[in-house]
Amino acid sequence: MPRRLSILLTGVGGQGIITLASTIAKAALLHGEKALVAETHGLSQRGGSVEVHLRMGNVYSPLIAPGDADVVLGLELIEAARKAHYTSENGIILTADIILRPAVPGVKVPSREELLNAIEEATGRKPLLVPARELALKAGGTIYSNMVMFGALLATGRLEGFVDRSDAEKVIGSLRKSENNLKAFKLGFDYCRSACTS
Amino acid sequence: MVSAEVLGPEGATVLLLGNEAIARGALEAGLGFAAAYPGTPSTEIVETLSYAARKLGIYVEWSTNEKVALESAFAASISGVRALAAMKHVGLNVAADAFMSISYTGVRAGLLVVSAEDPSMWSSQNEQDNRYYGLMGYVPVFEPSSPQEAKDMAKAAFDFSEALETPVLMTPTTRVSHTRGPVTLGKLMPGKPLGDFSRNPERYTLIPAHARLRRKAMIERWLRVKEEVEKLPFNTIEGTSKIAIVASGISYSYVKEATERLGIDATIVKIGTPVPVPRKLLLKALSDATKVLVVEELEPIVEQQVKSIISEEGLNVEVHGKDYIGFEGEMTLDRVARALLEFSGRSPTEIPWKPLRPVQIELPPRPPAMCPGCPHRATYYTLRRAVNSLRVKAIYSGDIGCYSLGVLPPFREQDTILEMGGSVGAANGFSEVNKDKVVIAIVGDSTFYHAALPALANAVYNRHPMLVLVMDNRVTAMTGEQPNPSTGVNALGEPTTPIPIESVARGLGVEKVVVFDPYNTREAFNSLREALRYVIEEKKPAVAVARRACSLYIDRMARRMGYETPLYAVVEDKCTACGVCYNAFTCPAIMVKDDGKAWIDPDLCTGCGVCAQICPFNAIIKVREGSPEWYKLWF
Repeated sequence: MPRRLSILLTGVGGQGIITLASTIAKAALLHGEKALVAETHGLSQRGGSVEVHLRMGNVYSPLIAPGDADVVLGLELIEAARKAHYTSENGIILTADIILRPAVPGVKVPSREELLNAIEEATGRKPLLVPARELALKAGGTIYSNMVMFGALLATGRLEGFVDRSDAEKVIGSLRKSENNLKAFKLGFDYCRSACTS
Repeated sequence: MVSAEVLGPEGATVLLLGNEAIARGALEAGLGFAAAYPGTPSTEIVETLSYAARKLGIYVEWSTNEKVALESAFAASISGVRALAAMKHVGLNVAADAFMSISYTGVRAGLLVVSAEDPSMWSSQNEQDNRYYGLMGYVPVFEPSSPQEAKDMAKAAFDFSEALETPVLMTPTTRVSHTRGPVTLGKLMPGKPLGDFSRNPERYTLIPAHARLRRKAMIERWLRVKEEVEKLPFNTIEGTSKIAIVASGISYSYVKEATERLGIDATIVKIGTPVPVPRKLLLKALSDATKVLVVEELEPIVEQQVKSIISEEGLNVEVHGKDYIGFEGEMTLDRVARALLEFSGRSPTEIPWKPLRPVQIELPPRPPAMCPGCPHRATYYTLRRAVNSLRVKAIYSGDIGCYSLGVLPPFREQDTILEMGGSVGAANGFSEVNKDKVVIAIVGDSTFYHAALPALANAVYNRHPMLVLVMDNRVTAMTGEQPNPSTGVNALGEPTTPIPIESVARGLGVEKVVVFDPYNTREAFNSLREALRYVIEEKKPAVAVARRACSLYIDRMARRMGYETPLYAVVEDKCTACGVCYNAFTCPAIMVKDDGKAWIDPDLCTGCGVCAQICPFNAIIKVREGSPEWYKLWF
């Protein structure tokens, strides 16, 4: 059985999704795995919905088909809800517990409970929530939310065989502000190890 | 941000963006000269090369448009320096005149033209298949299927170009240009930046007598090109079966995965040169086949060639393509899987992945938005009010850039958006046939230099009343803040002399020119009113320059340098929940609380202070002063 792992990262332009995806991909490469990251650039990046497709193992297609994502990784709840249907039969939805209001006049934003219920109703599974904002603030600022989510993802066990903790720490250690990033990663990992079971 | 790995050692396998891989391939091929106009999804090619330029001693520039970039690269090539010109697909329309002629003259040192295609229009006004330019111009087209192949192809393209004296067109699509994947590096071979041009007027001056000879030479060259593409490693055959699938570029990657996962037994013909297709290789692959499916993005370029080969050879093979795969949008694994199942007589229900039900509540849309502190937002806000104050109706002739986002609510100040520079061009016609409205052409600094100058000269000379509003944020913002003639630095970050837009306008004979700071809403309002009044009363063109650097650019620099920005906050007691700041101004840093009052997210506020000026109740105040260095960053 060929091994492959598909992660759909979703969030808002400016949240550091591309950095997160390429950090995970580099860690996979370090582990000896093929990795592909399909990114969103240009106009759509400016504060709009952003999705990045990350695939590892025996893969050729840079894009994930709807229903084929082992993990839908949200950096924001509305965006996680928007892409929840990409989750595969055995997939998980792991998301930052953050809601960002779109800068659209008169926009109606669903409440957190509405979003969580809607995801569960549609996909038949509870999203795993990470207080990424609070944890990132402990690591030095909200911009570290992305590395919180990397830590959380690793703790779910879904990366097993593709990325291990030392690969992750090696790559994160090479980023700018590596101390903050490593701290965020550890906080996400520790949080999820006890709170995210799937 | 360019990955430093792009200059990594021979033999290393590193994660590179497709566009970085193309740049690396060019650097392994002895590139000496590169020029481009930025445009998604092509920008990172020359961004990467500009990063490499200082270390490797090659010449790299951001040109004012694609035509200039290609003409410059052509000159380098016929002077003996290997050259590259990069652009987005629609950029080749701008450079097409040069492109067609260069195929007539041919090249000397390798010349690679990269046109990054954008099926699905992720960041473009259309999806067009530039492989047609290859067919039209007798120029071979290379189409990569992955970042690794993009590197290998770019390298091989220079040798191919030089050996056959032909330009080569490479057409990566979005999912190659903007996919990061493992790339094994070859040896860096930076080229010589200096050449030696020798006159050869019969070849390089396309007067009719010479052009007729060159057309003959070009068609003869095409026969050699057809032979040589057969030898390239980018066209391959895998397997033997009655069913053949011919896949070009990225489509090969989808076909490869889909056939594996669906267990489809087929001969896979991978096409790396869709123009011209490798005829002999195709005939070999099709010799046992009874039917063929051609899988390619955009137009049926390969399909039509395969059909013509089959007909010429009198083969009894059924050829399909777009009838199964469709025309619109980029290729996806789903699309390929469906087509392959249907083509091989199986049911689409056999697709092993099944999408779940989408959530059933209405999710708010999240279109791209102007950034917090974006000077364009401030200009749009004030422009609407200046127009209203004169009790006139306006036609907003729009253009390509971050300011295209002015089409969205609440501003709706872009009535047409065609192509680069089209705002001023179309305004010439609007003003002649719509006498009851004031015509406002809105254009960015980079776009102004790219293609608006001839249109402005036309407006002055033919006396078309219009306000040309140049939103001068000093950089080519949408593609990642590349420098342009307004900036004052070149592609390598070295200082050069900026060309002020107001000087250009006066030089072209515009008699009314105003310059204002959009962050000062009163100054902006008065300047815009003054210029609009002039257009209405004098019936002549005027130019208004809204000058304020891109806030994203300044904010990023400030963060990098550790300079504190000013910070604004809402005074709870004064806020009446009127919504002007979050519904009419819509800065993304301003949030609405449950009680309807505004709240400014300190993480997002860039300290521009415009919201404090537009709040009708003076409920927004500065709560932190910016460091003196922050004020000095603005240019």
